[in-house]
Amino acid sequence: MSAVSARLAAIGSRYAASGRRPPRTGRFLDRFLRDHKARIGLVFIAPALAFLIVFVAYPVIEVVRLSFHLVDFATDQEKFVGFANFVQVLRDAKLGTVAWNTLVWTIFSLAGQFALGLTAALCINQRLPGMTLIRTILLLPYVVPVIALALFWRWMLDGSFGIVSAALQSAGAIAPDQSPLATPDGAMATVILANTWRGFPFVMISYWAALQAIPHELYEAASVDGAGPWQEFRYVTLPHLVTITKVMLVLRLIWTVTFFDIIWLITRGGPGGATEHWPIWIYQETMGFFRFGSGAALAVLLAGMLMLLSAVYLVATRGSAAR
Amino acid sequence: MKRASRTTTLLTYAVALVLIVFVGFPLLWMVLSSLKPSTELFVNPPRILPRAITLEWYANLVGSSDALSLFRNSLVVGVATTVVCLTLGTFAAYGVTRFDFPGKRAFLGAALISYVFPAIVLFISVYMIINSLGLIDTRLGLILCHCILTFPFALWMLKSFFEGVPREIDEAAWVDGASFTQTFVLVILPLSLPGLFSVAVFVFVLSWNEFLFASVMITSGDLKTIPLGIAEFITSFDIRWGEIMAIGTLATVPVVIMFLCVQRYFVAGVTSGAIKG
Repeated sequence: MSAVSARLAAIGSRYAASGRRPPRTGRFLDRFLRDHKARIGLVFIAPALAFLIVFVAYPVIEVVRLSFHLVDFATDQEKFVGFANFVQVLRDAKLGTVAWNTLVWTIFSLAGQFALGLTAALCINQRLPGMTLIRTILLLPYVVPVIALALFWRWMLDGSFGIVSAALQSAGAIAPDQSPLATPDGAMATVILANTWRGFPFVMISYWAALQAIPHELYEAASVDGAGPWQEFRYVTLPHLVTITKVMLVLRLIWTVTFFDIIWLITRGGPGGATEHWPIWIYQETMGFFRFGSGAALAVLLAGMLMLLSAVYLVATRGSAAR
Repeated sequence: MKRASRTTTLLTYAVALVLIVFVGFPLLWMVLSSLKPSTELFVNPPRILPRAITLEWYANLVGSSDALSLFRNSLVVGVATTVVCLTLGTFAAYGVTRFDFPGKRAFLGAALISYVFPAIVLFISVYMIINSLGLIDTRLGLILCHCILTFPFALWMLKSFFEGVPREIDEAAWVDGASFTQTFVLVILPLSLPGLFSVAVFVFVLSWNEFLFASVMITSGDLKTIPLGIAEFITSFDIRWGEIMAIGTLATVPVVIMFLCVQRYFVAGVTSGAIKG
């Protein structure tokens, strides 16, 4: 028996001896006051809790508060302006373009990452020699610094000396001495491709983990029943990937929409705003024009939209799972 | 899984080859370009393999105090972030795996807030907090920001490692008269050392690669980290591709090596849902 339960027993008998009932302080507080271990546990998490409150919870509240204020950064003055910041950004002429760019960026990045990720997962799931090495190589983009990725992408697409530009030029897809980054569609395609390159390993490894969890017996049973490779994939493999796909869609959606670095470091939102998506707009309002209030309003709109989307998605998929 | 048929085998290797070229070519091209002299770098159409190899770009970087200071700053910020984050993380993970207390689930959930509110949403108010603490343009300010990004994942990963250490071991230590702190420091930490090491590597890599907070918090040249320093390198008018490819390679190699050491834990971490991408 541990020291703690002995201590608890001692407290109990003290109450019994005095003939009093334990004080009614509510279930949680009661447990907290009496349970030595609970207090120790709280001591262990206290530093982390303090950090989370100051640097995560408080900023979340603060960004919402800021979105209703006009902040003059030079004089450090704040003025409550109601919904003025929201009205201002929603009336901005570039709202439509930025929203559209965000949509295109997100949908195509997700499509690319999921398609390549699933293909790669099916590939490395085969029991063949060399697959561990192949898996390791395919995981590399995940750790390559985004800045390095941006550098070599820009270098390969350099109008005069880039190897990819040269290939595209000789194929006649773009004019001589031109970079795909100079055209709106080319720039968007480039950042999406770069994001696919960086993001697919994560999808791959998640799918691979799910594939590893499928019991072998199911495949044996399927082949006894005369199923071909396609039927095995359709009726055994796919149904086992539904759950992980649902979870990953929400996570990757949030991370893709809010991903700032790749576009900023490759195109800075250019040419002419053609690749400017929501995070870049937030960044420029805040760090470019020092309009903290409208930057915060944009951030709140983004977070709000994401929460709404995730909630709708969760409710919708729960409905389909219950059927 | 059953043995693959001949067709499946061929198809698998063909697809794998395409994927490896897609992943590997840009990386290889960066390294090759960093080794080419100007005469081979700036030709149209480009040649794949260099005829001559030069180390002049690397020599230029090593000779410049600016480049060295970038690496020093990234190293200092990365190591400090790792220390702070792991200290907070191990204590908290020990607390939540060994003790029951009111609000434990709320605490674990709250640690995940920053998953739903990513850096791009939080940086505005974090900037103002760091500013009011007088920590703008200091290493400490940036270290705190990096801890915001790395803490949730460190906590959840450490939690899963600590859960792997049987509670009977704790109880045996308590019976032998060890205090909770002694049990934690002398028994549990040493047992979870491989796990701690892998979390440390991931925290360091995240900090090493981080750009957004660095660009917001740091303004003076001698405090800039690698991503920030290089980003300004390429927006300047005269783009020195040789040096840029060399510094890109130098920034990538350490994290790739570290990643290869702890890859196994990465796979486990993704599977348990602790890592974000």
